[in-house]
Amino acid sequence: MTSALARAGRIAASLWVTLASVAAAAAVALAGGGEVFPIGLYIALPFAILFVNLIAALATNAALRRRGGLLGFHLALAALALLVAADRLMALYGHVEVTEGAAFDPDLVEASAGPLHPWTLDRVRFAQGGFDIAYAPRMKRRDTVSEIFVPDGGSSWARVLVGDDTPLVADGYRFYTSFNKGFAPLLTYVGQDGRAQSGAVHLPSYPLNYFKQGNEWVLPGTEERVKLWLHMPEPVYAEDVAWRFRKPEDARLVVIDGEQRHELRPGDVLPLRGGLLRYDELRTWMGYAISYNPLVPWMLASAALGVLCLAWHVAGRLRRTSWELERRKAGGADAG
Amino acid sequence: MLDDGLWLPVALGLYLGATAAAAVAAWRGGASYRLPMTLVTAALAVHGVALALRWMRLGHGPYVDLFEVLSSNVWSLHFAVLLGCLLVPRIRPMLAAALPVLQVLVLWLLVVPPSDAAAPVTYGTVWLPVHVVLGKVFLGCTAIATGLSLVVLLRRRAPRAFATLPGDASLDELAYRFVLVAFIFESLMLVAGAIWAQGAWGRYWAWDPLETWSFVTWLAVIGYLHLRAVRRPSPALAALCVIVIFVLAFSTFFGMPFVSTAPHKGAI
Repeated sequence: MTSALARAGRIAASLWVTLASVAAAAAVALAGGGEVFPIGLYIALPFAILFVNLIAALATNAALRRRGGLLGFHLALAALALLVAADRLMALYGHVEVTEGAAFDPDLVEASAGPLHPWTLDRVRFAQGGFDIAYAPRMKRRDTVSEIFVPDGGSSWARVLVGDDTPLVADGYRFYTSFNKGFAPLLTYVGQDGRAQSGAVHLPSYPLNYFKQGNEWVLPGTEERVKLWLHMPEPVYAEDVAWRFRKPEDARLVVIDGEQRHELRPGDVLPLRGGLLRYDELRTWMGYAISYNPLVPWMLASAALGVLCLAWHVAGRLRRTSWELERRKAGGADAG
Repeated sequence: MLDDGLWLPVALGLYLGATAAAAVAAWRGGASYRLPMTLVTAALAVHGVALALRWMRLGHGPYVDLFEVLSSNVWSLHFAVLLGCLLVPRIRPMLAAALPVLQVLVLWLLVVPPSDAAAPVTYGTVWLPVHVVLGKVFLGCTAIATGLSLVVLLRRRAPRAFATLPGDASLDELAYRFVLVAFIFESLMLVAGAIWAQGAWGRYWAWDPLETWSFVTWLAVIGYLHLRAVRRPSPALAALCVIVIFVLAFSTFFGMPFVSTAPHKGAI
């Protein structure tokens, strides 16, 4: 029984298992396709195996346990593997679009998450203000500064500035601005029953899709669809000079109703399908990338501890012995 | 005088001159390497001025596009090899093996257009220079280990050129030590890169080509360290392993521009 256990330990501690687990992680990552670092059980499993492999190596290899630095390094590496496995089960990556002047709606988030993700996005509250984006010549996006408002704990809202590298951190979730942003006409439709309902129609990301600034809107309370198109006589963007993202001043909203075409300016009202369609104003929307990795501080601590232990081991080795074997032999000392 | 483009060709000429001087010194039996070391020192000084002028002109360090990555690595690798020779004077004949390898980068740099790159917004963090410097120390230590390993392999064919160096086993041991130190700095580089990525993009790892190949290199170093600890390979086999590690690291640092036009392009 004991020898069978020892044999199993030796197999689990094999370097081949190390290589296989790493190769499996890489294979899952490659198979993940669009996902930058897949989440879920399939990617967690190789890291869990790596954890077992490292613990088994420590249990079966006395030389590893004898040297404090090496022991610490392998323990830290095992902890890191376990933390990565847990992180892949708990992580979330997603994105959401938020309209200027509107609140973040967790139902609009498109995300993939690990099976142990706590799903507390509904606790996140913020409202979108305006944003400023600077572009360098040749359409290179520079700083993005998005103004958002978060509850300050009392009865008011605190202003927070978020960017591509400056996230809003709320309930463990990190919200970053992204290249994805654009215009959103705010419309109100008064149906035959007299009810007025408003909605913001997000047009495709600008300036990436400058040539197709159109979308459809289902009139509230009906199943009728109308096509919308934002006509900008002068483009906002510039190819060869620096510019800033702004709303077009002379834009008109084109409403396509069957064979008929109507051009609306903010405030215009159009009788449509038995109701009234009012073009209130042109707003913007900002797209946010969302991530959730609660174990990152622990992973960082493990990695740092591992490197420190390794440095301790290497420093000891370099100090104890000369690299010149001829001199070492002459001195007769070799601590190995 | 303030045009960085004027200083660089002078520096590159000095690097090439140092390599020729090291080859001549080895051919003569390796009595003195003072001339190649002096030329490398002069090249580093001139090249340093070129890098500083460009940095001041563009407002960002030399780590944004292929030209900058190449240029800064030409500087840091020559500096590492020179420092190694100053700290361990007995290995100076190794210059004749290491400098020709580095001249591949010098010749490459000559044909890369020095366009003015703009740093992405997410490059404005202290963790980026930390990550870059750690990477350069890693590659520098690996370059010295590679120079020593090349000596182990080359002196079978040219015993006179490296006759003043210690035996193969000693060079193998010294190369191993440089790889050990390189491993620490590579690990730190990966950690610093993960911190930068987590802060900048909300993900600490994304398997982008540079990350993936850095990890493959890290695994290769682990493989070499375990091989050496468990199997005690011959100096020649160990030297081959070190050269494979260098090739992997070299391909990671300099091959990725062929996959994407900027380091970590996928994350920009």
